[in-house]
Amino acid sequence: MTETVTFYIDGQAYQVAKGTNLVDAAKMHDIDIPVFCYHPKLKPVGMCRMCLVELGSLSVNRETGEVERDEHGEPVFRWFPRLQTACTQVVTDGLAVRTTTEAVVQGRNSILEFLLTSHPLDCPVCDKGGECPLQNLTMGYGPGESRFLIDDKIRLDKHVPLGELIYLDRERCIQCARCTRFCDEIVGDDVLAFHERGRRLQIVTISDPPFDTKFSGNTTDICPVGALTTADFRFGARPWELQEEATICPHCPVGCNLSAGTRLDRDAGGKKIIKRIMPRQNEWVNEIWICDKGRFGHHHTRAEGRLEQPMLKQNGAWVPIDWPAAYDLVAAKLRQYGDSLGVLAGPSLSNEDLWELRKLAGLVASEPKLGVWPAAMTGGDLVAQVGVGSGTMLRAVGPETAILVIASDFEEEAPIWWLQVKQAADRGAAVVVANARPTKLDRYARAVVRYRYGEAVSVLNGFAAQALKDKSLTGKLSESRVAGLSQLRAALKGVKPAFGDAGRMLLSAENLIIFAGGEGLSVAQHRELMQAAANLLILTGRAGRANSGLVAVWPGANMQGAYDLGYSAEATQALLDTPPRMWIIGAANPVAEDARAARAITGAEFVVATSLFMTPTSEAADLVLPRQSFAEREGTFTNGMRRVQRFYTVQGIIGDSLPDWKIFAAIGERLNGPKARISAGAVMKDITAHVPAYAQASYPRLAQVERQFPLVGGDDLYYGGTAYFNLSGLGLAIPPVAEDGSAQLEVRPVTVDAPASTDADLSLIPVRVLYDRDVLFEPSRLMHHRVPPPSVELNQADAERLGIADGDRVAVEGDGYQITATARVDGRAPAGYALLPVRLSSTPAPTTPAACTVRKIGE
Amino acid sequence: MNLLRGFATTLKYLFEDKVTVQYPEEERPVRERFKGRHALKRYDNGLEKCIGCALCAAACPADAIWVEAAENTDEERYSPGERYAKTYEINMMRCIFCGYCEDACPTEAIVLEHEYRLTFSDRRDSIYTKEMLIDPPPPGVPGTPQQTEPGRYTRSIPEMKDPL
Ligand code: SF4
Ligand code: SF4
Ligand code: SF4
Ligand code: SF4
Ligand code: FES
Repeated sequence: MTETVTFYIDGQAYQVAKGTNLVDAAKMHDIDIPVFCYHPKLKPVGMCRMCLVELGSLSVNRETGEVERDEHGEPVFRWFPRLQTACTQVVTDGLAVRTTTEAVVQGRNSILEFLLTSHPLDCPVCDKGGECPLQNLTMGYGPGESRFLIDDKIRLDKHVPLGELIYLDRERCIQCARCTRFCDEIVGDDVLAFHERGRRLQIVTISDPPFDTKFSGNTTDICPVGALTTADFRFGARPWELQEEATICPHCPVGCNLSAGTRLDRDAGGKKIIKRIMPRQNEWVNEIWICDKGRFGHHHTRAEGRLEQPMLKQNGAWVPIDWPAAYDLVAAKLRQYGDSLGVLAGPSLSNEDLWELRKLAGLVASEPKLGVWPAAMTGGDLVAQVGVGSGTMLRAVGPETAILVIASDFEEEAPIWWLQVKQAADRGAAVVVANARPTKLDRYARAVVRYRYGEAVSVLNGFAAQALKDKSLTGKLSESRVAGLSQLRAALKGVKPAFGDAGRMLLSAENLIIFAGGEGLSVAQHRELMQAAANLLILTGRAGRANSGLVAVWPGANMQGAYDLGYSAEATQALLDTPPRMWIIGAANPVAEDARAARAITGAEFVVATSLFMTPTSEAADLVLPRQSFAEREGTFTNGMRRVQRFYTVQGIIGDSLPDWKIFAAIGERLNGPKARISAGAVMKDITAHVPAYAQASYPRLAQVERQFPLVGGDDLYYGGTAYFNLSGLGLAIPPVAEDGSAQLEVRPVTVDAPASTDADLSLIPVRVLYDRDVLFEPSRLMHHRVPPPSVELNQADAERLGIADGDRVAVEGDGYQITATARVDGRAPAGYALLPVRLSSTPAPTTPAACTVRKIGE
Repeated sequence: MNLLRGFATTLKYLFEDKVTVQYPEEERPVRERFKGRHALKRYDNGLEKCIGCALCAAACPADAIWVEAAENTDEERYSPGERYAKTYEINMMRCIFCGYCEDACPTEAIVLEHEYRLTFSDRRDSIYTKEMLIDPPPPGVPGTPQQTEPGRYTRSIPEMKDPL
């Protein structure tokens, strides 16, 4: 345990952990020391001098070593003659602070008056007005009147675009450097800097494209004034007019907690709509950060073209029908084709939706095939076995933890995890990145392991073989608890430990977190990768502990939930191999994304799809049912670390749309299934009763909150920024099976296929990019600048051989697909491979590795 | 006796000046500081004074005002400030004519004027939109939106003088 020390604020003694920052220490005891430049997530710089206090220390008699006391027996303090900045002070034993004396009051007063001499009177139109630390602290500690003339104020540029997402108002900037320090310290992107000095000091963007980071929006939250505003919200409402609703980001497996600022809107027909998205504090998940996709990617909730009625295809034309007719039709078709039914569940269906869909399929088929989409990764069942244990908090891991990120372009696939792993590396965690090509996380990795696509498994096997050599790691394993141990030992006998340094780093730390992506792997290969990761964790006893275990970097928000509820990518593969006669597709767009799936779906006799928009998949369906986006309804997502989190109804409903679970339950009623539940909460209750892992995940439990540190939001705007208090739930982390010390675990030797050699030119590797043309993201027009055009990355040698230069238009062809794209030759693609970012082109391409040829086409 | 005294009063008033006004044929002028229907003001160059800050709505004790703001551009400029009121509505059925909105306005854009004939036969008609509230531009001056030269209007809040 860390040592605690006693310190004194205004004569009162308090205890706090040694080494705590003084401002934080005061805050922990609900005492305010106002700050501008200090931020609890950043290193102190002492730039603004708002935090001036009187500092002193206990007066100790040199001879006796006793604390001197006055005649009343109170301790005597010695004070520094001048005011000191509290934010640069660490609490030591006997430290004393005075925060309310005349000198301190005067000091704060003068600093504020000074700041205001060059701050414009923009409050009435400023987006920060109403939740502005400068306003609040001026009201609390300011002089009340100015001795300076407003006409003499400095004039600077008021409308400086820092990229297309963030605007800077130079007059409002108080030069606290929170924004630049956020980019430097937390993100590590060299994008913002100070230019010039003195009063001419300015924030400038030094990257091209400007402000080129995936986390730019966070600077607007922590900027203590309205100098940084987002293009998305700009003038959308005044802060006090917004109703903040709690929700969860639907874009990626991190599951960031969001606060949606909503207001009625004339242009939306008087409906309540989302005006802005901000982070909601959850120190277990996203702390107080979110990426720009989560912040700006909410426009699908009300974009033009949202489906408002069930639509039936009749003789090639779409006709609207009512819900009962739609239910009857699907029920009749299910009766007809029930024995040949395929189910595809999209990545952002909530647990409730997945549960009702599974129940519906179960009514007509004894063993329904429940597939997930995208079907690029698998192994959610293994995550349930050896996932990270209770108490896992990524933001707190340090040197005792090693982190392996394998087969994932981490920043593109899970931005906030990337951010946290990067910071863990800064704190001393051993981060090892294993991938077939360079990714951004390489910069922060202690070791980088390169393998050839398809051979990721052998990297893990190498580590496992290395672990087996070390009896202190694997000696205590008991055969009775771990099934298959001897077979695994035997299989690993012949494996030579490779990448010794990386392996040593990973194995010497107390904890090991493995983030496994799916890049360059088929579903079958991915299962082997996940199994290899599970083997390694079980062999080394690293499974089922806090800050230790396996995490899948899923291509969607709730794919872990889908696995927990019985869906799998293997089922999808089986369905594509022998296409069924009827499909139910929930919130997925396989026809646009995958050529093979497109063929399997268009060939079916009856396809019903729930969708937000008329996508290629809905076009290929016979009946399209309008579903509600995450903003119009309640539900839960299970994030990649198996934290079940609740999202709430945020905005008004579009048209006659319904939540997926309701649709599936109503169809089930017509097939003599159980009566539909009346609320998402009731569906969850059903889940808790039938799915043991989720037994505790009732809605009231998920809504529980606890006091988090640092305290941000609420009245503490000046301290943490405008990120919001979490009043609506921190969610529930489901413990993995391995956490139960007596549970039976299983290891299995994994097979390593040699990469299939084909006579085709190249192997096509689908890779994920954050900013894509996904249905949930495409409608956010503001982000279109950042969405790259369809492209394919080639290795220098391959490009030369094929006569292709960077920027050429090329055709990428293979078995059953053909797309056109722009060639990129930027040194990331290994020889023999063509990297194809998924969900960028409107023509379907493979979603798992395939053979391809690339040729240049005319302009 | 009382009866007679009553009749005497009646008789006296028969010969005094009439106080009854034959409204609506006849109208009496209101006091200078009378607070009637609001008007949204313009500068002499036709630009709107309102910058869509919604402080009037915040100050209104009856929650009668609804403002939605949008950003000006030099191609389409409504006000000399950074933003303008895209939607501006007052529900006259809620308004208690206290004038707080006028007090709160940083640009003196909203003024309670002398119009008091506010009648409607449908509740919906009690909502006065921006088009109904805004003064016409001065004679010979274009209304809004206007196209303005870049760099002319750069302040977030226009100076409180006529920005001509
Ligand atoms: S823009 Fe905001 S966060 Fe950045 S230095 Fe200026 S006041 Fe601080
Ligand atoms: S990191 Fe993922 S969950 Fe978080 S805001 Fe970004 S897309 Fe959403
Ligand atoms: S006069 Fe008073 S009640 Fe009427 S709109 Fe203005 S502030 Fe509201
Ligand atoms: S009338 Fe005045 S207070 Fe109301 S929105 Fe317009 S500028 Fe602001
Ligand atoms: S100097 Fe301490 S908060 Fe700025």
